[in-house]
Amino acid sequence: MQSELQATNREIMATVLARDLADGEWVEVGANLPVPRAGVLLAHLLWGPNMTVMIAMTKANVLNEPVIEEFQLITDQRATRWAEAYYLHDDLVENMKFRRKGVFFAGALQIDRYGNSNLIGIGADYRALKFRGPGAIGVCNATVMNSRFHLVVNAHDKRIFVPKCDFVSAYGWGSGGKDARTRLGLPGGGPRYVVTPLAVMDFEDESKRMRLKSVHPGVSVQQVLDNTGFELLVPAQVAVTETPSADELRVLRTRIDVQGALRN
Amino acid sequence: MTTSTENARPERSKRIVDIEHALAQVHDGMTVAIGGFINSSHPMLAVRGLIKRGVKNLTVVGAASSGLEIDLLIAAGCARRVVAPYVGGEVLAPIGPAFRTAVERGKVEVFELDEAMYYAGLRAAAQRVPFNPWRSGVGTSFPEINPAIKTFQDPINGETLLAIPALNIDIAFLHAAVSDPYGNVQYVGHGYGDRAIYAAADASFVQVEQVVSNEEIRKDPLRTAIPGADGIIRARFGAHPYSSPGYYTEDQAHIRDYVKAATAWAKADDFGPLGAYLDRFVTGPADHVDYLERVGLRRLLALDEY
Repeated sequence: MQSELQATNREIMATVLARDLADGEWVEVGANLPVPRAGVLLAHLLWGPNMTVMIAMTKANVLNEPVIEEFQLITDQRATRWAEAYYLHDDLVENMKFRRKGVFFAGALQIDRYGNSNLIGIGADYRALKFRGPGAIGVCNATVMNSRFHLVVNAHDKRIFVPKCDFVSAYGWGSGGKDARTRLGLPGGGPRYVVTPLAVMDFEDESKRMRLKSVHPGVSVQQVLDNTGFELLVPAQVAVTETPSADELRVLRTRIDVQGALRN
Repeated sequence: MTTSTENARPERSKRIVDIEHALAQVHDGMTVAIGGFINSSHPMLAVRGLIKRGVKNLTVVGAASSGLEIDLLIAAGCARRVVAPYVGGEVLAPIGPAFRTAVERGKVEVFELDEAMYYAGLRAAAQRVPFNPWRSGVGTSFPEINPAIKTFQDPINGETLLAIPALNIDIAFLHAAVSDPYGNVQYVGHGYGDRAIYAAADASFVQVEQVVSNEEIRKDPLRTAIPGADGIIRARFGAHPYSSPGYYTEDQAHIRDYVKAATAWAKADDFGPLGAYLDRFVTGPADHVDYLERVGLRRLLALDEY
């Protein structure tokens, strides 16, 4: 049995994402992405009353909803009960100014040491892929136009954390350096955190190389290094990831994740 | 019948057409768009009809996020090229099994792009210009793996941008809630990216759950999303097994049966289950009503939104 007060790894991941979000920011809540969804809603309910959350292509503010029902599919029409406005999908994807206040969450098949990532496929030859991925969806653009983004993955292993991505569908810090993005004319926000079931990584200020920020409770630094396919920067002191407070955990379990997607 | 030209009054043409009339416009090698979004609002009379007619070598423009309707067209061998930033069914199938297999085996070519590039291409087509510029994607693999996307220096400020070529569509098939007989189409909800597909297409056929009066449309003309479809197709339950907002949810059991069949082909190279699915639900049914009878009234009426 799971203790009432002990957070699961996925609840810890959600809390890490929540603590990065500030009031007034604009965030997409995808479907079937339970960790980012919970993180966004946690920030919204506890310290982000003016956040805009986009649920199933609607603009919503669910501050006063006692329980926020979770939908399995992004096309679930029931999510429109909270709509203040509908986003036509082309408007959502093509109108870019509002994304200056936006924060995005991206998954990946592969991630390299500079936070470049790949959703296209695995294989040296694009015409003969060993594994065809889902495609870039909206990730290429959203990782450029939002103020920053976080890479969030469900596993931490050497298949994901690779020395070089076979293809780059979302640009991180290129081949390094803090002007890697602005040099190409891209807004400078870029990837901020990489959140996995083992740890949180960020990017060193000058080189923009991936750096271990914290390990989740019960995880060793060595365990993270052993499961990363490139050399991570490791500071002299590696913190343990902060766990949710009792209040945060209560809100997560009673208002956001009643069905327990983060606890299973 | 009019007997005297003096008394003849011009009559507005109705645009309600039979699905077979619409499908007869499609020829091998054309560029055909299929609207909707992942598990919702796909024009399935059109998708099944294209397969049944044995149309080949299509360039299929899916939705910005396509669902397994594109996977089905690939499984049935209709598509040579797919223009879609995603093909899958979310939790029901994270990657379309036939899409994945056909691409890995080199049977289908992907016009690789993300959702923003996709809309930039549709907008270029709608504007009748050769391309639209776009910023995101500079520095990525897109211009390498999709040579149709070019990197260029913009002539105004000299910035490096991508030129996304116009995605011209010969015929678009969409599915919506209602239309009047004159092609004024309204959705329940936002209609996903269907307007952008319509604007990029030379001709659009829209399936609707119900044809309503022109007066009904004029009660709320701001809701008219597509003001002039070329053809309207009566299609009650026409998005099944996908959802139709305001009418029914997706039929998850049916979709999972398809995924199971397509996965057998993908994983074990066994086309048997997929062939059986196609026989039963695509090539077998005489018409849409026959299809719905095969699915079963009890199943259809259980697809409640609330």
